[in-house]
Amino acid sequence: MTHDEKKTHPQIPELVNQLKKGEIDRRQFVQSAAVLGVSAASAYAMVGAMPRDAFAQGTPKFGGNLRVSMNVKEVSDPAIFDWGEKGNVARHVIEPLVQIDKNNVAQPHLAESWDVSDDLKTWTFNLRKGVKWSNGDEFGSDDVIANFERWLDPATGSSNQGRFSSMTETMETGEKDENGKPKMTTKMASGALERVDAHTVRFHLNRPDLSLPESMADYPALIAHRDFNGGDWSKNPVGTGAFELDRFGVGEVAVLKKRNAPHWNGDVYLDQITYVDNGDDPAAEIAAFASGQVDTNYQTSVEQVPTMRGLPNIEVMQAVTAQAGVARMKVTEAPFDNLKLRQAIQACLDRPRILEVVYGGFGAVGDDYHVAPVHPEHAVLPPLKQDYAKAKRLLAEAGHPNGLKLRIDCVANPTWEQNTCKAIAEMVKPAGIDLEINIMPGGTYWDRWLSTPFGFTSWTHRALGVQVLNLAYRSGVAWNETSYNNPEFDKLLDEAGGLADVNERRKVMAKVQKVLQDDAVIAQTFWRSVFVARNTRVKNIYAQVAFEHHYNKAWLA
Amino acid sequence: MLLFITKRFGLMLLTMLIVSLLLFVLLELQPGSVATKVLGLYSSEEHRTLWLEANGYLDPLWTRYLSWLGGMLTGDFGESIRFKTPVADVLWPRLWNTAILAFWTFAILVPLSLTLGVLAGMREGSALDRAISITSIITTSVPEFASAVFLSAIFVFSLGLLPGTSGMTDGFDPLQLFLPVMVLILYDVGYVTRMTRASMAEVMTTPYIRTAVLKGLPFKRVVFRHALRNALIAPFTVIMLQVNWLLSGVIVVEFFFAYKGFGSLLLEASLNQDIFLIEACTMVAVFVAVTTQTLADIGYTYLNPRIRLA
Repeated sequence: MTHDEKKTHPQIPELVNQLKKGEIDRRQFVQSAAVLGVSAASAYAMVGAMPRDAFAQGTPKFGGNLRVSMNVKEVSDPAIFDWGEKGNVARHVIEPLVQIDKNNVAQPHLAESWDVSDDLKTWTFNLRKGVKWSNGDEFGSDDVIANFERWLDPATGSSNQGRFSSMTETMETGEKDENGKPKMTTKMASGALERVDAHTVRFHLNRPDLSLPESMADYPALIAHRDFNGGDWSKNPVGTGAFELDRFGVGEVAVLKKRNAPHWNGDVYLDQITYVDNGDDPAAEIAAFASGQVDTNYQTSVEQVPTMRGLPNIEVMQAVTAQAGVARMKVTEAPFDNLKLRQAIQACLDRPRILEVVYGGFGAVGDDYHVAPVHPEHAVLPPLKQDYAKAKRLLAEAGHPNGLKLRIDCVANPTWEQNTCKAIAEMVKPAGIDLEINIMPGGTYWDRWLSTPFGFTSWTHRALGVQVLNLAYRSGVAWNETSYNNPEFDKLLDEAGGLADVNERRKVMAKVQKVLQDDAVIAQTFWRSVFVARNTRVKNIYAQVAFEHHYNKAWLA
Repeated sequence: MLLFITKRFGLMLLTMLIVSLLLFVLLELQPGSVATKVLGLYSSEEHRTLWLEANGYLDPLWTRYLSWLGGMLTGDFGESIRFKTPVADVLWPRLWNTAILAFWTFAILVPLSLTLGVLAGMREGSALDRAISITSIITTSVPEFASAVFLSAIFVFSLGLLPGTSGMTDGFDPLQLFLPVMVLILYDVGYVTRMTRASMAEVMTTPYIRTAVLKGLPFKRVVFRHALRNALIAPFTVIMLQVNWLLSGVIVVEFFFAYKGFGSLLLEASLNQDIFLIEACTMVAVFVAVTTQTLADIGYTYLNPRIRLA
């Protein structure tokens, strides 16, 4: 890759140095280098090792139809995607600027490379040249700018507003609400995005943001054609990807056919990808695998792993992730507005036990700060311990000396979520908290996940620790489900996001994590591994940490 | 007879009208909650008001009900929230899929259960009767979700003979119908058999059958010429009611086999609070229920003249 010969980020020599001294390991080095614009191949070359060869599975064969069991959800507007499944269908048609690979490393995709200023506030993205949309147009800066403008327009309602908050500004609309307070609106800051030329865009951020490339890899950040402006994308799915949407029916099937045009990334082996919706009954999916009706799936739940392994020709692939469920408390709702009460709940939990009971030990223990051990900047804090004496004292101080009744909302499926709630309910009982579990269908829960006082929400993996904190715990962002509002936290998070040096960042992250942990807005008890099943005839696919499907190089034996 | 039929149809329409009114009151009484369901919980107040205005939700209640009813009658059910298409576009294909399932279920169920029922009922207490009765009780008492697992274990996992799901992704595949149809038949055949058996056994004890036997007619002739017609009146009603059962009872089977039919649609609609789809599905289910009931009543009256006087 030619762009690597250009200027490297000043942090790179320091990273190499740290690697030599053993302060960071190879994975962390490659991750950090990739963030700073060095391709994974070059980074691996610097450390003198190549990743486990993903292609050592024989000579690829052309042709075939890869059948994938997955819920087929509506895909009318990529900007407001809120499910990974939606991203998977669309990703083979419209592509992201950056893609997170199987090693949790950000790889250039529609962006060929990027440079960042030393203060991490000015990012220049060089877009791939010669990429054609399926309608014949040339892909370029105008497409990227049109998408960012739509994402950051408050009328769109895209979660990208939080993801790219370093590009937005909040201002008064000029109108007043009923209480006479000025109404506020958040939109793209003027001058945040500059068109350098037809294939170069420059981002001028209002604060350092390390996770900009990773943010561009998330599923709502797929680049649609510049003319797409709402309406139903599935009706006119123009794309740069290797596939085109041939047939689409919500709840039934999505058929992607290989485009009759060369793809910028070279050979594409599959002729067709067929997403089959087998409903929500895991038994149906297992039966489909057993009778050879599907080749792989979106996700195999931990309960189904033994059954899947028992089927002939089926292999279960695993990915260690930063995915977690959080029992999150809304700090604006009584009784969760009381810090002592939240801390009392925190003190009741025996985390390793929950991981063992609920998830068979597949994963890592979590300590209520939503930064995972797989994140490069994860700081190790002393583990939280179960302490009923402390819990009872805190409860009394919170004004509930005789305990109280609480209710938590959670989804029926996957079952590990309600099982975690059940384990939590058992553990808070000795402290005098009677926790009722309100199990509901996913659709119902996701209608109220932002508003319920106490709910169990599962969060997907994100490549950097700062990313999910920016999305979920920064004051006022769209997905801040706890209504957490702590200026000190926001400030520390800004500081951490501005540090390219992973060791420096880790020092600040220790503070960030501690603040979040002490405020006890979430009980996040473990990090889970995820599983994807595949028939052994499917080659060159992997379990990706965020369940993303990257099938451009997959093939069938 | 004509008066009777007219009355039955009148009653049928009245039932549907009442159900539609209930449905409307339950789901559409508060325009605000409709707008929230359609536009999402986090839509702005302004957006919702505009939507309500554009869709006539600010009109008086009766006007709204009548136009809603008009829409229902002309097949304009509104737009599905989950599928993002007109409700009719998903409803009719799904209903057709269930009709295919129902057709094959009945095509096997009816001859099978009538034959077994007649065989069991014509000699009450015989070894054949006992065998059929016991088998019927066993199959009927196994719920569909259990027999679905059981049959899958045999035909999909052990023998590998049949496909495990019936999504028909690549177009209609008769092989994929085997398991769902088998499960439905297994569950229902015992019930209809036992109804037929009871009816047959009752007829066999009547004086005119005894007379026929005593005057020396061959047993075969007694059964076919004299007993059968009267014995089949009760099963006819039972079978008509099974149509109704099939429409709602298939939910479990369709869910298990990922069959894209009416049952799974109703389930999805309810789980996702897709209100226009729920309304349409409910009205279709009610229509089928009252229609089969009416047809059963009329048929029963036709077959059994004694009822007509009542």
